[in-house]
Amino acid sequence: MSARRTHPGVYLALSFVALLSLAPLLYMARVSLGKGNGLPIAPGDWFGQPFSLQHYRDLFSGGPMARFTLNSIVVTGIAVPIQILLAAAAGHALARVRFVGRGVFLALATAFLILPRQVTLVPLYLLLAWMGLLDTYAALILPHLADPFGVLFMAHYYQTLSPELEEAARTDGWSARAIFWRIVLPLSGPGLAVVGVNGFLITWNAFLHPLVLTTSESMRTLPVGLALFAQSEHSVSWGALLAGSSVATAPVLLAFAFFQRQIVEGVLKGSSR
Amino acid sequence: MRGRRAPSAGLAPWLFFFAAFGIFPLLYALVLSFLAYNPLRPDLVRWVGFENYVRALETPSFWRALRTTTVFVVGTLPVTLTLAYVVAALLAGARRAQGFFRAAIFFPATLSMVVISLVFKSLYAEEGLLNGWLAAAGLSRVHWLQDPALALPSIMLMDVWASVGYYAILILAARKTLPDEQLEAARLEGISRLRVERSIVLPHVRPVLLFVVLLNTIRSFQIFIEPFVLTRGGPLESTTTLVYYLYERAFYHFEMGYASALAFLLLLLVGIILLLQRRTLGRGAAEAGA
Repeated sequence: MSARRTHPGVYLALSFVALLSLAPLLYMARVSLGKGNGLPIAPGDWFGQPFSLQHYRDLFSGGPMARFTLNSIVVTGIAVPIQILLAAAAGHALARVRFVGRGVFLALATAFLILPRQVTLVPLYLLLAWMGLLDTYAALILPHLADPFGVLFMAHYYQTLSPELEEAARTDGWSARAIFWRIVLPLSGPGLAVVGVNGFLITWNAFLHPLVLTTSESMRTLPVGLALFAQSEHSVSWGALLAGSSVATAPVLLAFAFFQRQIVEGVLKGSSR
Repeated sequence: MRGRRAPSAGLAPWLFFFAAFGIFPLLYALVLSFLAYNPLRPDLVRWVGFENYVRALETPSFWRALRTTTVFVVGTLPVTLTLAYVVAALLAGARRAQGFFRAAIFFPATLSMVVISLVFKSLYAEEGLLNGWLAAAGLSRVHWLQDPALALPSIMLMDVWASVGYYAILILAARKTLPDEQLEAARLEGISRLRVERSIVLPHVRPVLLFVVLLNTIRSFQIFIEPFVLTRGGPLESTTTLVYYLYERAFYHFEMGYASALAFLLLLLVGIILLLQRRTLGRGAAEAGA
């Protein structure tokens, strides 16, 4: 317990690393809260220059940024609850029912965890084009529902959960559906929190697929909108760009504040960024 | 009794999505890679066998992209791994405020890569913070993203910044599974910290280090957002990674068959690297354990 005393240098080094980790984000926030188009450079500029919400006001008055934000909220708000339900239902089935080919199936789903997603980019584009879904919310949501992480994670979770309660209910004549909704789901909170918050991060931050699967400006999500906004070189306003970045970051910060433990658990169990 | 039931209704909904948007696109990509396929000219679709693959291997841009990606991996991996190991060791050593430091160091890993890229684009800008400091120190400005020799290293530096916390958390979790008693016993025997680190901790976390190497390599091979936002693959293709090249071919030139062949070459490369690393590093781990 009372092992070696910590060398003060450890705290000094950690403080330095922590500062290095957070400084670019503090810089982002500072620029977004500034005025005009210049980037503050000297420390005097960071504290001395006035603070203002001008960039945020400019961003949301008129421009497409409000629409990007709405799109991101809609896509995440629909995709994540569905992901959670799919993961619970499929994970539970995988954990409780031994069916033919279960091992092969698990291996396949696991392989998809590390499969570079770019491999399915072109065929997904063609498939959604063929379905007439390009440039719709459906195109932004559907690919996320195939992610195997939540299912595998929940299968593992249910294996550590005793099936006794479910079996008792079954003997009492409960239907499988009632057992799932009234017994299994209420016991799934901790596992589903991990699936939900990691699903949120991946969906909210998604870039390559939303970039390719949307064509009109009104369907862009925040990351895609911001990236393309930054490329329309003629009038890059750093303040506006970093205000937009701050808007994209705020929900992530909030999720991190409340669910850090679950995020870490997801990372340790193979949720990919 | 339960043993012979069909894979209940619970699995079906997700299985549908997995089949439709996971398995099917993968098989479709394989077929596409043997076709000449321009979606704008459906009349010209035809089977070309291995032509797409041969073309990739004969195209300088492909080799250039492969080299860029390789430089990226070889340049960032040792730095990221070393820093992550050191940071994890520091975190493990902190008795107080460990939670705060861990959170501060891990947080960047949860951010959108677009946001990270935009922030660094502002730092690297001509009139940005880094050049401002250089100017203040009396040095000349550096064209971080416009100089073909510097653009890739600038992106690599950003990647290290964005990755260290993520891998430090993985390594820290592995350190924590080491029993306290073992470390305590070593301490009582008067073994130096450095030797404890080398002969107890390092072998213990070795499997996770191997995992970090694999994960970081796979992810580096998929780098796309960074060149897209910071440099658009330039200047002079110097930051055109494999995936960026694939994206350009597929969605600027509509060479969907060729792009699918590139995707499978990427998959093949990642597979080969996984096998090679598993063999070399895995054998080392076995020796260390013996």
